[in-house]
Amino acid sequence: MVSETQQATVTRPQIRVQNAVKSFSGRVVVDIDDLMLGDQPIEGLIGPNGAGKTTLMRMIMHSTPLDSGTITLFNANGGGDVVISNLPTHWMAPHGLVKSNQVIMDFDNLTILDSMLLAVSTARYEKPYRIFDEPRLYADSVERMNEYMEYFDLGDPMRIAGSAGEKKLLDIIRCLLLEPKFLMLDEPTAGLPEEVTEKVVGLIRKLADEGTSVVIVEHDLNVIWNLCDEVHFMAEGSVVLHGSPEEIRQNSTVVEKYLGEGHV
Amino acid sequence: MDLDFFSKSIVIGLTEHAPLILAAIGFALLYRLTGLINVAYSETITLGAYFGMWFNTTYDLNFYTVLLPAGIVAGLISVGTYFAVFRPAKKLNVGALEMIIISFGLSIVLRHALQFVFGYPVRFFEVPPPVSIRVLGVGVGAFRILAVASVAAVSLALYYFIQRTSFGLQIRALASDEDLAQASGIRPLFVTVLIWFIAGVAGGMAGAFYGVSSSVAPLLGWRQFLFIFLVVVVGGRKGLGGVIITGALTGIALAAMTLQFGQVLYAQLALIIAFVVLLKWRSKRSIETVKV
Amino acid sequence: MNLEWLDAFLISGLFSVVVIIGLALLLHLQLGLTRIANFGVVGFFGIGMYSFGVMFTKVDWPFGDLPAFLISLAFGTLVAGLSGLLVGWLIADLDEDGVLVGTLGFATVVFILATTEQDLTGGALGLGGLKFPYDVGTVKADEFLWLIIVSIVVSLIFLYVWWVHRTPYGRLLIATGGNEPLARSLGKATFRTKLWLFAVGSAGMGLIGALFGVMERFLAPENLGIDVTLAAMVALVIGGTARAWGAVIGGFLIFGFFDIIVQSYIPFPKEWYGQAIPNAKLIVEGLVLMGVLLFRPLGILGAMQRDKLMRRVHG
Repeated sequence: MVSETQQATVTRPQIRVQNAVKSFSGRVVVDIDDLMLGDQPIEGLIGPNGAGKTTLMRMIMHSTPLDSGTITLFNANGGGDVVISNLPTHWMAPHGLVKSNQVIMDFDNLTILDSMLLAVSTARYEKPYRIFDEPRLYADSVERMNEYMEYFDLGDPMRIAGSAGEKKLLDIIRCLLLEPKFLMLDEPTAGLPEEVTEKVVGLIRKLADEGTSVVIVEHDLNVIWNLCDEVHFMAEGSVVLHGSPEEIRQNSTVVEKYLGEGHV
Repeated sequence: MDLDFFSKSIVIGLTEHAPLILAAIGFALLYRLTGLINVAYSETITLGAYFGMWFNTTYDLNFYTVLLPAGIVAGLISVGTYFAVFRPAKKLNVGALEMIIISFGLSIVLRHALQFVFGYPVRFFEVPPPVSIRVLGVGVGAFRILAVASVAAVSLALYYFIQRTSFGLQIRALASDEDLAQASGIRPLFVTVLIWFIAGVAGGMAGAFYGVSSSVAPLLGWRQFLFIFLVVVVGGRKGLGGVIITGALTGIALAAMTLQFGQVLYAQLALIIAFVVLLKWRSKRSIETVKV
Repeated sequence: MNLEWLDAFLISGLFSVVVIIGLALLLHLQLGLTRIANFGVVGFFGIGMYSFGVMFTKVDWPFGDLPAFLISLAFGTLVAGLSGLLVGWLIADLDEDGVLVGTLGFATVVFILATTEQDLTGGALGLGGLKFPYDVGTVKADEFLWLIIVSIVVSLIFLYVWWVHRTPYGRLLIATGGNEPLARSLGKATFRTKLWLFAVGSAGMGLIGALFGVMERFLAPENLGIDVTLAAMVALVIGGTARAWGAVIGGFLIFGFFDIIVQSYIPFPKEWYGQAIPNAKLIVEGLVLMGVLLFRPLGILGAMQRDKLMRRVHG
């Protein structure tokens, strides 16, 4: 929705996870030999509860430190490859890597407008002595913010987000305003009404068309089957299968371990 | 540096700073088991000193007799602050940061209210100079030996109490999960009161030792608070044993540096810096996992 | 200037109110917005005061009083700011316990240095020789002029703090205090933010300390007690931690009452003013701190009300 030009021939950013291990109090939660994310525009990450999907995403963001291993972001913002497993969390967004949250996350005192302005603002504006920048920041970004406001029909932005669904949506909007090159979404549609889910899905498609790599963790498998070009199946801390949605859907292991007999 | 310096540091460090260890045990009990940073603990110490002095001078009792009563009164006051302030605060769902500031407010209230009761001038215990005993060639007053013995007694009692009795089991259960503990038939109120009482007794006795070795003044406990807190924050991760060892090492380091610099303040200065740098270093190594 | 109408107690009372409001305003940025409980306010205040005092009285300045005064003032502010940077670096990634230890520890370090470094600070005896950078006749007139100058400085601090709410920087501080991990995931360098917040806030506290020292004329370690930190905290908490006006209202309310009304207008017996009233004042401060945080945590002014603010700014 930001730009109408379709860029079909862009080099997509990719993330490579190598030998990444994370354990909590002795129990190995994630153990991945070699995983490439971002080959396809939209990829899904599915698996039973406790498979390590959320932990893997947090490890990529480095909000959960790795016990060992390397994570590399290829074709980061501004080109080039970056080893991100050594970087603090706040460097991810400038490199184009952004993640939405599974649990509801918001700032206690900030309004919806504040949240959006916070996302679009950069360190340049946020210095103790830069005290006259607010009007410029607002003028520069008001159009983009309004587009989202109208698209999602959010109403008055000068209030604190009320319902859980609204907070969840705001979390996604904040991520989108960061203009991600590589976007990870952790259960983006959980807790959202159906019509909003459809709007989010539409937006994700559009973003992917414009060259952003998207990885989704989602329990609503209809979203996965409809949206994804490739699906990774995770169980007990490692990715055990990759394939197109159809392949994964019909795979006997997946059916047995995860989907159950009646689901296919 | 000769052997004499070392033995002197160790003996002085352990005897002179035994009250620090005693107070740290009490503070750690509250900190570990209720999660509370109680700044007003410094006044528990101060009040122990004041009540010890008051029993001693009013009823003409010797120090050995007033030590335990002073601790018990401080323990009761400690329980009183729990009922008057901390329990209501918990019921009102006060945040962790606000809780620290509330305990800071309580500390100020107690520190200045006690001056209306006991008067403004600095007070003193009226005791004959204690018998001096030579330990490794260093003269040590009997009260200081008693302080070391108290540390040993309180630690052993707590160890036995926590590890071997059903109360200990209840305390540990309560510390790990209050709701679950309650569901298992544990009486959280009784156990919590017990913790506050024991912590207060340890603090009050520490105060009496501080008071008898110099003077009794409103800032007595507050002057020690930072060091008690440092010992507990740095040593508390490894349980009471860690607190005792850190406290003992702190005492020895203070004694050694005081001998070296000839100024107790420089020793304190070096210690504060060392501890804060240690905390910083430790935080660098253990980045917390956050839910983002 | 004819100042007969003006009571000397009123000048000193107003002066202490203004100084406390200044400190409370800076504390508002740290505690109210960024949720860092700085228990070392008096340390930054003290290091600014002493750095200024030592520089001004111990250096043999080749030029007049006023330039020497201003250079020393800048020096005191700078030293406080640098120590804020150092303390900020030590505590910015620690939890509440670590912040309490670090800030309290810093205040204690400043107190210890003021006592031990006798060649510079005069130790427990104190440091004399400070004076106003002007002479307008009487002591009273000098003090009155100084009250006006310091009031102007604190007003500027207020304007800054009030305005910060309307800047991207203020929004970042609130976000950092509200949900630091989330802010970090949005690309905000929260550690560096806290670092600079401490540097700027501490420099301000140091400046206020130096200005306070001039009025005192005589610096002693007794000026560095925890009651300074307490005063700033009480003023802010009663007025409202989340609001810039909170510091001003709280400061006038509680210290206006004690330092002006009780001191000058209520005829208590003379002997009470020595110890009983200062003692009672501290008890009341402690009770107010506890009472407000228990029953009305956001103080008189209440919540931050970003909705109204945003409507005013962008509406």
